[in-house]
Amino acid sequence: MSVLDQATFRPRAAARGALARRLRTVGADVLPPLALLLAVLAAWELAIRLMNVSSFVLPAPSAIAVSLVENHRMLLQAARVTSVEIATGFVLSAVVGVAVALAIVRFERFGRALYPLVVLFQTVPKVALAPIFILWFGYDLAPKVVLIVVIAFFPVAIDMMHGLQSVEPGFIALMRSVGAGRGEILRRVQIPYSLPHLMAGLKVAVTLSVIGAIVGEFAGASAGLGYVIQLSSTQLDTALVFAALVAVSVLGLAFYYALEFAERLLVPWSSKFDPLHRG
Amino acid sequence: MLSIAPAPSVAEPEPPPSAAAPAHIAGRGISVDFAHDGVVQRVLSGIDIDVARGSFVSLIGPSGCGKSTLLKVMAGLLAPSEGTMTVGGLPPGEAAKRHMIGLVFQEATLLPWKTALENAAFLLTVGGRATPKDVALDKANEMLRLVKLEGAARKLPSQLSGGMRQRVAIARALALDPEVLLMDEPFGALDAITREEMSRGLLEIWERTGKTIVLVTHSIDEAVFLSRDVHVMATGPARIIETLPIDLPPHRDEETFNLPAFGEAEAHLRRLLIQGHAGEHR
Repeated sequence: MSVLDQATFRPRAAARGALARRLRTVGADVLPPLALLLAVLAAWELAIRLMNVSSFVLPAPSAIAVSLVENHRMLLQAARVTSVEIATGFVLSAVVGVAVALAIVRFERFGRALYPLVVLFQTVPKVALAPIFILWFGYDLAPKVVLIVVIAFFPVAIDMMHGLQSVEPGFIALMRSVGAGRGEILRRVQIPYSLPHLMAGLKVAVTLSVIGAIVGEFAGASAGLGYVIQLSSTQLDTALVFAALVAVSVLGLAFYYALEFAERLLVPWSSKFDPLHRG
Repeated sequence: MLSIAPAPSVAEPEPPPSAAAPAHIAGRGISVDFAHDGVVQRVLSGIDIDVARGSFVSLIGPSGCGKSTLLKVMAGLLAPSEGTMTVGGLPPGEAAKRHMIGLVFQEATLLPWKTALENAAFLLTVGGRATPKDVALDKANEMLRLVKLEGAARKLPSQLSGGMRQRVAIARALALDPEVLLMDEPFGALDAITREEMSRGLLEIWERTGKTIVLVTHSIDEAVFLSRDVHVMATGPARIIETLPIDLPPHRDEETFNLPAFGEAEAHLRRLLIQGHAGEHR
């Protein structure tokens, strides 16, 4: 491009330039991991074919793709069941986590009693509770939701709590000095302040919710992706196991990115989105 | 544009008999003890201080001399272990609730999701004396003009420089229309040039509003340039060792730094601070 070209302002060219730049950044984010993934899949495919691995030990990516297509109706049906479990469990985890955090921060005495118990409960291997929940709540939605909540509320509670406590003490002193009460400080300052922290906790919780749903289905279910994985592994249909795993990953990603999107809407002021990372 | 220091909303009680003149801020025998793991440490020891209405005074001293603690007592953020403090004849906590006290800290402590304007208005909308939002925003707008930040009213704190954020904090304190402005190293986190600019701005605000200002600083220059009286504090035990009236013309600008009296006051304060510092290591 000559000096003259650069000196003349051409809006369309400028817009084209901006679009090209944007595409280049997206490309820089997306292309390398995509290329690596394709390389891994190609190596996997090649290894299976060269070494003649039996398909019920490890199916080739192409076999998994075929299984995905052949079973897509059944997998979609299973994914619907699991999605309902994840969504219900996640929402309840968020509610319980936020409630625990607010209770601990707002009612100090109660919080001092509750917090150690919450941490203690966290040391219980909750996956081991799955059979008990089946015993108590049956084979349907309820035991999975309860399992998800006991697994996933903790990061929400901890992150929200830290968020509520992250307000500069000077600012709280300032509000107290003009006569603001604890409820007012909590509502107008601490809760908005905690939202970026809450979002971080929710993102951990949503991935734990996926795990909780699958484990819950392993322990006893008649539908869902976890049920499909278990059933097809007993039938040595390993390709279908992997196809269901792909479906689980896609579900997990969808839930995660829905939250990322919500984060941009809810807390656009979060320092996370500040390109210069200024406080 | 701005009302000159309003008369207190309540009748002032009789001044304490020990006070020579009715001081705006009066402390008598202020002591503060902090307990650390059962060990009680005296952070302030028997301090008497009077700040006249409409004056500008500084508290200066080495770190750990209790100057910030004394300011907290004036602000009602901390109750003294012994002694009494009054602001406009009231206990400081009560005065603060009546918006008689404006506070500025070293950190601007702005709410990151609110604009400069909303931040400046915020304290007016909380507590028992909360005003309607539009009234608060009008007031905040006026104060942003006073701190020369009207152009940045719609910006978020993350889009402002350190000096601009601190000006929002000052506007937020002034929006309460307080009689007293208490500032704890308000320019401590700023670079030297911004610091000087902010000092001149603060002086201008003081001249225009007639507020009583108490400034905690560890900068000798800043104390001499801004104050009418400098209270020098020392450690071990924390106390005021001297109150130095600054003998400079009332209006101050860049030329003030070149006056012989400026240099003399500065040298005198430096000597005192070195002595106070030595006292720490006795």
